Amino acid sequence: MSLLTIKNLQTKVEDKQILNGLDLTVNAGEVHAIMGPNGSGKSTFSYLLAGRDGYEAVQGEVLLNNENLLDMSAEQRAHKGVFLAMQYPVELPGVNNMVFIREALNANRRARGEAELDTVEFLKTLREKAALLQLDEKLLKRNVNAGFSGGEKKRNEILQMAMLEPKLAILDETDSGLDIDALRIIAEGVNTLRSADRAIILVTHYQRLLDYIQPDFVHVLVNGRIVRSGDKQLAKDLEEKGYNWITQEAAA
Amino acid sequence: MITQMKKRQQQTQLKQQSWFQQLITQSETATGLDVNWLQQLRSDAKRSIAASPALNRQLESWRYSRVETLFKDNFDPLYGNDFYINNLNIKDYLLGSFASYRLVFVNGRYAACLSDTSELPEGVTLGSMNQAINLSVDKSTESLQRNFSQNIQTTDNVFNTLNFVLFNDGVYLHIKDAVQLDLPIEIIYLNTNQAQAENYHGSMIQTRNVISLEAASSAVLVERFLHLNDDGQYNESRNNEAANNKKYFFTNVSEIKLADNAKLKHYRLQDESREAYHLSNLLVTQQQSSRYETTNLAFGGAWARTDYKVDFKAEKAQCDLSGLYAVGDQQLVDFHLDVLHNVPSCRSAEKFKGIIYGKGRAIFDGRILVENQAQHTDAALTNDNLLLVNNAEVSTKPQLEIYADDVKCSHGTTVGRLDKQQIFYMRSRGIAEAEARKILCQGFAVDIIDEIELTELRENIASRLLHSLNSDVSG
Repeated sequence: MSLLTIKNLQTKVEDKQILNGLDLTVNAGEVHAIMGPNGSGKSTFSYLLAGRDGYEAVQGEVLLNNENLLDMSAEQRAHKGVFLAMQYPVELPGVNNMVFIREALNANRRARGEAELDTVEFLKTLREKAALLQLDEKLLKRNVNAGFSGGEKKRNEILQMAMLEPKLAILDETDSGLDIDALRIIAEGVNTLRSADRAIILVTHYQRLLDYIQPDFVHVLVNGRIVRSGDKQLAKDLEEKGYNWITQEAAA
Repeated sequence: MITQMKKRQQQTQLKQQSWFQQLITQSETATGLDVNWLQQLRSDAKRSIAASPALNRQLESWRYSRVETLFKDNFDPLYGNDFYINNLNIKDYLLGSFASYRLVFVNGRYAACLSDTSELPEGVTLGSMNQAINLSVDKSTESLQRNFSQNIQTTDNVFNTLNFVLFNDGVYLHIKDAVQLDLPIEIIYLNTNQAQAENYHGSMIQTRNVISLEAASSAVLVERFLHLNDDGQYNESRNNEAANNKKYFFTNVSEIKLADNAKLKHYRLQDESREAYHLSNLLVTQQQSSRYETTNLAFGGAWARTDYKVDFKAEKAQCDLSGLYAVGDQQLVDFHLDVLHNVPSCRSAEKFKGIIYGKGRAIFDGRILVENQAQHTDAALTNDNLLLVNNAEVSTKPQLEIYADDVKCSHGTTVGRLDKQQIFYMRSRGIAEAEARKILCQGFAVDIIDEIELTELRENIASRLLHSLNSDVSG
């Protein structure tokens, strides 16, 4: 059984058809890259999987471990193991980062019928994972993302992912706005999170992230459909030739 | 339409007149019957009440406050009896192990047996206003007489005058030069309706406080305005409805005088019953380099208004007024701040935040007046409001009147809603929507709450806010 099965997924956002029958199967342990030109529906796809209000499927189905994901609220999806690292992580004024991460972790544990993590254990794990991402401990004590640089925000996303240990992680343009050092650190962080019971979907415009996080599969999204799938060589071809040859092929 | 409106206004005015007249008649039993100077001042005050104009929405200071709701009920002045004092457990109202010098007032009457001022240091007089007037504690008569006469001449607030005519008790606090109080002073006001007659709608309870700090003295003052919980209810043979027992009108006037370099930190928690009316009037005068800091927390009441008037009498005085209010269905909360910069080089800061849910309603009116001689004034005002639902309502009005040309003044007010992106962000991490909303509200309020330096009070306020959010945040 696949971890994630998407069949003929179609969606409209504000009356505009964005996804046009997307099919995708992802197994546990795999890393998939979804690439595509601007406006191809990449972010819509990410939000739809995470359950953001206003992003609803008009057709098709999405199964996570054989359960209908589209019927679940955003928080239920998180409880089932879906995690979205956002392209633009929001700031939460007055909400302490450490308290927030603990609250999120315990909300998930409660929903799964697990005991809450005690504070000492939580802090120990949090510090270890923050160190791995070279995230300054001071940022843990600040409010969530408040005054964080672009790179710090992205690292904070991956830190949350590391703490929540999702089954399915979707990284939406995690590489955007990062310098090469930050990109490397984040990629290393993500690589340590690769495991046999976890799948990762990398949504990205550029190939460079894939130099650091090697995908098992690469899919090209054009006009809301996957028009081509391949291995990491496909990403290299796109880097070389751009998206035009595929868009033209798709239109033909 | 217009004639109907006029007719309603006339009716309200008649109700006001008859109610005030009734109150004045009943005031004959207030404290200090044989204190001549007080009786003299009170008869002046009664004349000024009789001559006071009708309160209605045409008056700027009552424009949004729905003053007419006060005239709907025949509140009668109440001078309390010992029943409640003897039958309540004060531990129910204390903040854990919070150490303080404590005064307790039950229905506006000083309760010596519930108070604790035994360890007060030298140079501090803290006690009942009733005793200060009648027994002239610590030569209080002269200073009280001076205070009251100034206040009565200058007030333009008829409820301040009414309070003066009706009050029976209150706080008398005097701190001598250079005394630094080691523990906070805590005043607990416990109120309830004390039904007496069939046609009796609610109790009118009043306290009047005079607080003066001499030069270079300092103190922390915590006032908590609470209602008696059900255990302390007067158990009448007549079957009263619980709601009726919680309907009362409480007024409090505090005159606060800070001499040179004196410092007062003043916390006020208003958590009256949801059927209660609460009106606080704070008159603060500050001498050179004195410092007044106050944090107001307002959660209770059906109708609750607090008026501040801060008057700088000499240079380099500073005041910080801050507050947090959270109100919902059938609640109106109202803050009127009036800071007068009459002299140069003073600093004032006002920072109020509000969370309004259900059909709650909030009013904020912050006025800063900088006279032309008040150069080098530093004044800042902010008021931020969070409306959790469509029916919630806020009227916020910053007023800066600046006549000096070398000053630093700023103001900013906001009215907003919870951010959908922030809520989605939290939900995508597994936090349920209701919980996410609560966390964001707590985050909104946290800087006001974190300013509370007394741990027990800070924790009490944080959980009190959460209690409000738990009951009403889901809308």
